[in-house]
Amino acid sequence: MENNKRVLVIDDEPHIRRVLELKFKNQGYQVITATNGEEGLDLIKSQQPDVVITDIMMPKLDGRALCERANELKKKRPFLTIVMTCRISPTEQDWIGQLTDTVFVEKPFSLQTILKCVDQYFGNQG
Amino acid sequence: MKVQRITIATLVIFVIGIGIFAQTLHQQEQRSKSQDLQHKGNYLVSLVALHPMENFLGNKRDYIVKTLAEYVTSDGLIYCIVQDQTGSPLLSLAHRDVVAKIPTEVEQRSLYVNGLIQQTYKMVGTGHTINEFAKPIFEGGQRSGTVRMGFDLPPISMFSLERIKLMAIMAFFAFSMAVLVYYGVTLALRPLHAVNQNFRNICIDSVSVSPGSFKNGGVGEIIKGLEQSVFQLKDRYEKIQAENIDLTTKYGVISFEKHNVFNLLDSINYGIIVTDIQDNITHINSYMLNLLDKKKDEVIDHPLGDILVHDQITAFLLQQGALKQSSGDSSIEATFPELASGESFLVSLSYLSGRKEGVIGKVISFKNITSEKSAENAKHEFITRITHELLTPLTTINSYNEMLMDEEIDNIEMQKEFYNTINEETSRLTSLVKNLLNISKIEMGSLALHKGLVKSDWLFDDCLTTVEGAAQKKNITIERNLPDSFPSLFADKELLKVAIINILGNAVKYTPEDGHIQFMLTEQDDFIIFEVIDDGYGISKKDLPHVFDKFYRSTDPRVTEQTGSGLGLALTSEIVRLHGGEIEINSKPDEGSHFKIRLPKEEYYLGKQ
Repeated sequence: MENNKRVLVIDDEPHIRRVLELKFKNQGYQVITATNGEEGLDLIKSQQPDVVITDIMMPKLDGRALCERANELKKKRPFLTIVMTCRISPTEQDWIGQLTDTVFVEKPFSLQTILKCVDQYFGNQG
Repeated sequence: MKVQRITIATLVIFVIGIGIFAQTLHQQEQRSKSQDLQHKGNYLVSLVALHPMENFLGNKRDYIVKTLAEYVTSDGLIYCIVQDQTGSPLLSLAHRDVVAKIPTEVEQRSLYVNGLIQQTYKMVGTGHTINEFAKPIFEGGQRSGTVRMGFDLPPISMFSLERIKLMAIMAFFAFSMAVLVYYGVTLALRPLHAVNQNFRNICIDSVSVSPGSFKNGGVGEIIKGLEQSVFQLKDRYEKIQAENIDLTTKYGVISFEKHNVFNLLDSINYGIIVTDIQDNITHINSYMLNLLDKKKDEVIDHPLGDILVHDQITAFLLQQGALKQSSGDSSIEATFPELASGESFLVSLSYLSGRKEGVIGKVISFKNITSEKSAENAKHEFITRITHELLTPLTTINSYNEMLMDEEIDNIEMQKEFYNTINEETSRLTSLVKNLLNISKIEMGSLALHKGLVKSDWLFDDCLTTVEGAAQKKNITIERNLPDSFPSLFADKELLKVAIINILGNAVKYTPEDGHIQFMLTEQDDFIIFEVIDDGYGISKKDLPHVFDKFYRSTDPRVTEQTGSGLGLALTSEIVRLHGGEIEINSKPDEGSHFKIRLPKEEYYLGKQ
């Protein structure tokens, strides 16, 4: 089951971090966590994760700004971003359209949904 | 007076006319008599000259003398002299002294001129004008003598009896005419005088005048007509006067209303610009002048485009102008970064319509919607935050439950931890929903207080216990200060607990690790005072007036990194108010905050019932 894919979970909510960490570890992924956007961005740069799962409402650097920075980094190295959001307002649709390899998952989500997104991403990559 | 003068002038002209007429008659008479004399003289002298010379000699001469003698007396014949070739008189029918008075040159000319001759001369000594007719007598082709006749032409007197009679008759007629004309004119003017007096009366005091005081016909009819016209004019004048008063009143009312409308426009918190059809500004209110930072005379009658330099609004107005003008009002949101930084305006356009002319101008209004926008943003932010706050524990519960259901957690201890987390998150969710409900009920005015006796020390301990766990995690010390006795409150314990925990919880949340909090309960007169003093981040001057506003959250990153809905202090404030208490706050950034809740004691409160 173990693979060399690395998942980064960014959320200020410890329970969410905890459950996602457990779920992906059980699936054989390497999991790293961050408690805010700023710390998460540093880890994206230093640990080069294959998947970034992030909350949208976070202290220091929110999910929106993080996605925009990540989008720049994806030009050099592609990776999947899964954004856990509460609701997508009409004004956010245009912004979402500009992001590459980014999936939005609305809360409350099923862990299976997130897992499917990741599997599909890696499946497409071959 | 004028009539009299005219009459006198007419008389003088008549007299002069009569004089001229008499003079002309006199001259005509003189000319006529002179011509008669000439004919008579020529005739008689020619008649006598037909006689041969022998008829003037001897017995034959008597017949001629007898005939001529009748003329001498009757027709002014003064003398008749027949002279022979030598000039010796053969017949002289005249007094000797008359013949002697005839000038010699007259006699000589008569004797030597061939043909009929007439001479006029003044008789020496008498001064009489004499006309002498002379004609030669021819016999056998030779001049044998000369006949001379002198006629006296008596001067015609200017003032002859006949002429005086004639002049007197004419003067009489002239005078009669003048008198008749005078009375005729006076009679004709009498109605005019009456009308004049009537006009004066009408003009001065509107005295009633009988229109039937004139006889029918002629001037009377005209006057009657005139007077009717005057009465109509008078009625018209009175109506116009009444209308004028009415119009003056209406003008006053309209001016007053106009003034009121302008005052109203100036007093409203809207910017208003009114333009005519050529887009020149016809009115602008004070609010708009302040916004544009201009004076009224810099704006009125100027083109809108010169005053309102704003690309977005100009494009909007052009776009609306291109659309059907009567399609109703429309608006856009606009900002004026240079004139009103940070403020938003709703710019609306509507068209002014005349009764017949169609569109006669535009009304552009500027409504400051900064507070609405702010409220809207706050509401949006609140909904987003509340959604996040509600969905986060739900997500935790859902995902933890999924892990347990999928039997992915083998470890018993870990399973217990998961169940505990699900319980905690359920409580968190419940608390949040209750807070929301309470806020909603307070807003709706439907929150029912379940009041009872509440021992203040119990309340104090309950609140403290709730936050102690969180404080311990941050190594924050909470110092308790309690009085010797514990007065009671008459309150809704659960709600009051929520209010105090909100403040105490905030103190823990916004105080850094290893910080210090004082939680005090004191008595003052009829009040119990709960005080929370921390040495945390404090509240900025900008945020301080808004801490009790619903949905308000500071933009301080140390605040935003903490979970919160912006409802806690709003709810606390409302709960304290509902209990007849007061809440005070003193805070300085980076030094800490001091909250004080004053609540009436049970005795005081009951005493008031």
